[in-house]
Amino acid sequence: MAMAALRREGRRLTTVISPQPITALRSSLLYEEQAPLGVRSISTQVVRTRMKSVKNIQKITKAMKMVAASKLRAIQVRAENSRGLWQPFTALLGDNPSVDVKKNVIVTVSSDKGLCGGINSTSVKISRALHKLSSGPEKETKYVVLGEKAKAQLVRDSKKDISIIFTELQKNPLNYTQVSVLADDILKNVEYDALRVVFNKFQSVVSFLPTTSTILSPEVVEREAESGGKLGDLDSYEIEGGETKAEILQNLAEFQFSCVLFNAVLENACSEQGARMSAMDSSSRNAGDMLDRLTLTYNRTRQASITTELIEIISGASALEG
Amino acid sequence: MASNAAVPFWRAAGMTYITYSNICANLVRNCLKEPYKTDVLKREKVHFSVSKWVDGKPQKPTVRSDTPEA
Repeated sequence: MAMAALRREGRRLTTVISPQPITALRSSLLYEEQAPLGVRSISTQVVRTRMKSVKNIQKITKAMKMVAASKLRAIQVRAENSRGLWQPFTALLGDNPSVDVKKNVIVTVSSDKGLCGGINSTSVKISRALHKLSSGPEKETKYVVLGEKAKAQLVRDSKKDISIIFTELQKNPLNYTQVSVLADDILKNVEYDALRVVFNKFQSVVSFLPTTSTILSPEVVEREAESGGKLGDLDSYEIEGGETKAEILQNLAEFQFSCVLFNAVLENACSEQGARMSAMDSSSRNAGDMLDRLTLTYNRTRQASITTELIEIISGASALEG
Repeated sequence: MASNAAVPFWRAAGMTYITYSNICANLVRNCLKEPYKTDVLKREKVHFSVSKWVDGKPQKPTVRSDTPEA
């Protein structure tokens, strides 16, 4: 709601004022000051309307900052707790960002709403770079997009490579059931050798690390395990129960994906709120600066017109006396 | 052991491990007593909209939701 109001304000502003707001305004005022003789008072109407609208914008951005701050506090705890979900998997299977496979699926996590700085552009940029890195002859790379904002950016140039788009994730508070249903949908609808989840990891309110985590398909895990390396240690684990290693690996890969995705969605939501908070903070500060400048211009003009009137009166009076 | 067969029964039914574990988790949640039960069940709501893309064109989006449209 606040966003809609902000947009409305902005539109009204652009109709009132030309592209370079302050300078244009000032020059128009200057122009009026050097108006032809006989025009006495300068209209301060434009400045007053503009001051009012800037004040309104400032109110809205301040409110949005508050909202983001309170949402951030709630979600930050959950994001930090959810890190415990993927850490055991990384300890067991390792993270293999450099693995070279045929079918890559890039899962780009972004937000549905804007006004949150550059976090969506960074995750899109990283996804594009990954796409470029992993594409080649006989290779297939597809995008799975979460959130409106990455969709808007990727549709522009990578239409052909998009396979599924998910939106409206944050209508209810994020929870594991939702994300796991979503992960299930992804697994059922794409063929993959490696899933690469791209998201913004929350570090602090002002810093977000664009991060990728890689989930390998069970076949690739087995292949890599045979060739040694960190995954070679897998054979030293004893398997209980009647399941074979392939089954266990498949279950693990699926569960790993849903856990990693859950963490990614939470971290990204957390980063979004943090970024929105700092963006709104700086925009309310900018609005304050603008308001100061406008007030100065307004007062100066008012003073000038008063002085002019006084001079006229006094010189008129002295002309009568003399 | 429920799964002595070559393939576990739930995978034979076309489920993934995620669906299976979700059903199990839901069963456990339903075992809670009343004040907690509604809380927990209310928390786990699913809502998102999916649209598949074929050859660079979006198909009609479908909404996956367990809450009726308001």
